[in-house]
Amino acid sequence: MPTKDRKLTVARAMAEAMSQEMRLDERVFVMGEDVGPLGGVFGNTRGLFEEFGAERVRDTPISETAFMGAAVGAAADGMRPIVELMFVDFFGVCFDAIYNLMAKNTYFSGGNVNVPAVIMTSTGGGYSDGGQHSQCLYGTFAHLPGMKVVVPSNAFDAKGMMTAAIRDNSPVIYMFHKGLQGMGWLGTEAGATVNVPEEEYTVNIGKAATVSEGEDVTIVSLGMGVHHSLHAAALLYEQGVSADVIDLRTLVPLDRDHIFNSVKKTGRLVVVDEDYQSYGVSGEIIASVVERDISILRAPPQRVAYPDIPIPFAHHMEQWALPNAEKIVRACLRATSN
Amino acid sequence: MNPTPEQKQWMYRHMLVSRIFEETIEKIYLEGKTPVFNMANGPIPGEMHLSNGQEPCAVGVCAHLNKEDVVTATHRPHHQAIAKGVDMKRMAAEIFGKETGLSGGRGGHMHLFDADVNFSCSGIVGQGLGPAVGAALSRKMQNKAGVAVSFFGEGAANQGAFHESLNLAAVWKLPVIFVIEDNAWGISVAKETATAVDRNAVRAAAYDMPGVYVPGNDPDAIFVAAGEAISRARAGEGPSLLDIETYRLAGHFMGDAEAYRPEGEKEDLLRKDPILVYEKALLASGDLSESDNSDLKECAKREVDEAIQFARESQFASPASALDHVFA
Amino acid sequence: MSSAVHQVTIPIDLWEEEVEAVITTWFVSDAAEVDKGDLLAEIMAEKIQFEIVAPATGTLVIVKHQDQLIDKGDVIATITSAPD
Repeated sequence: MPTKDRKLTVARAMAEAMSQEMRLDERVFVMGEDVGPLGGVFGNTRGLFEEFGAERVRDTPISETAFMGAAVGAAADGMRPIVELMFVDFFGVCFDAIYNLMAKNTYFSGGNVNVPAVIMTSTGGGYSDGGQHSQCLYGTFAHLPGMKVVVPSNAFDAKGMMTAAIRDNSPVIYMFHKGLQGMGWLGTEAGATVNVPEEEYTVNIGKAATVSEGEDVTIVSLGMGVHHSLHAAALLYEQGVSADVIDLRTLVPLDRDHIFNSVKKTGRLVVVDEDYQSYGVSGEIIASVVERDISILRAPPQRVAYPDIPIPFAHHMEQWALPNAEKIVRACLRATSN
Repeated sequence: MNPTPEQKQWMYRHMLVSRIFEETIEKIYLEGKTPVFNMANGPIPGEMHLSNGQEPCAVGVCAHLNKEDVVTATHRPHHQAIAKGVDMKRMAAEIFGKETGLSGGRGGHMHLFDADVNFSCSGIVGQGLGPAVGAALSRKMQNKAGVAVSFFGEGAANQGAFHESLNLAAVWKLPVIFVIEDNAWGISVAKETATAVDRNAVRAAAYDMPGVYVPGNDPDAIFVAAGEAISRARAGEGPSLLDIETYRLAGHFMGDAEAYRPEGEKEDLLRKDPILVYEKALLASGDLSESDNSDLKECAKREVDEAIQFARESQFASPASALDHVFA
Repeated sequence: MSSAVHQVTIPIDLWEEEVEAVITTWFVSDAAEVDKGDLLAEIMAEKIQFEIVAPATGTLVIVKHQDQLIDKGDVIATITSAPD
């Protein structure tokens, strides 16, 4: 029987994945601020409290260190917690539990202790929420060993990767971009709301995807950047340049082969990253290609990333700083100019 | 010590200005956001956390403060900024993101910094306490006058930073006053489901400092309690905790549908509007005359209108100036 | 024998204020086969989001599209049931 044609927003896709896994496995539970009756500030726990109650869908006090630490302890003891860090920018108040415990306990225990926790956290700006509520911080989390990091760009991947994350025995940081959620009051990139199968399924963690094929230039991105890249690819096509657009989907483990194979085909690389430019994702992508075989490159790699500044509040400043389709087009034209 | 009539009028006036400011900002915030509420649109985009109802907390405390005293505040800062004497024109311009704003548009409504009156605020819950402790430390080390006040919500009292900051302030006997604005809600989470004690004031005992609960959202009662705490600090006797019962009359942020509030709660709160209550009391006691009252209201409206006009008429900085002021 | 055409209507009393709403998401495409009770769309009025479900089983024809403004009582789609 064919699956029904129905779309979901990323928020609903996340909630559906969680509810399906919670039905299958009673060890799975959810903790965080406003995840209960409110259904999450970003709609991602919608319906869970109604179905599973306060025992398994727990509103916490504003005590990130305590409940992140608790997630680590619970996971080590056999539960499978899904914890929300409401804004990734808040990581500063609880990071020890994440990078020093959650990410390292398996290693320190020689593989004897697993921490099957999922931390879901909102990222991204573009709607004037200021410097402490708009960051992506992909590089910060990807850089530190011991945690998988996934970044869905659409509802199909969002559901599949949430399911995969919950089932993964390693800790997974699940970073969802606010501009892709489907919250009416925030404005949503339409391309993120796509068909999502009703049944459970997984999208493998660690596998990038080519979302638009081309021959002339490789564009690598994640999250909201994928949509900017697709818009750019459409504009480039009109100018006779075909772009091979890659959606990383996972930062850790990074699918370096997929990226390399594309650049081998096109010879030109543009990386699009809403996170701060220096010491992060864009540099890592470029280094991955260059150190493997610099001869495949026919032009210097380009990056369209956020400048190394705190995110400004003023709308015109923020929009000036953000990656967008026009900037990506210019970068691709530079990369293909020889 | 109870407030004098002049001090009462000061408090009332600042509450008026504060409330008119918030009501004005609320209207402007909604420009460009109807019929479709998209937070990114309009002359004031992004989030907006209004302080309607919480004015007594700001005025009751700031009535005792001078320019040199330091205040740290939160994502809901306007009433405290106004009470502390932050330049309202530059504050309004900052909220609009203009070049003439306190930080040229870089900070916005949650990141208002006015070095002239030692006011700053920040958006991460609980993270204003540490800096207040530090400011108090600095004054003590330099033997300079001034106390520090940290305003935060009852939700923040469950953050590690609260406990660490109170402990450190007590250990080093610092001139800092921790002020909780208990408005009973942390977005959608009610205080009684998140806080282990009925009143955060009792937590002060864990850090060997006085903890005072002030019920009723009453400027005079807050004034008295704050006066004692601030005098203590100025006399070198160390920190205090004030736990003030207040209410927020609006949602957590503009756009909050407030479905989590029990039925009737909002209507009940509007009836107890602290400004209406205080106005009635001042008129009844003779501390305020009817004609003074209308003068004050007119002046307050004018002050706010001028600030908003300044903000609207100001230019935006160049986009590339976003690169400025990252470093000293 | 004839097919029935059902209207997908915004309930006249769905929200209080006299304000317009907007369709924030269509969860199914034009010409999709839907079942009674399926989630069709999400609309937003006064910052609150409401779900609109299918009143019948059949083929959907979208009348008002995503991002379009709508009022209480508007027909946003029709569903044509198969003939008996």
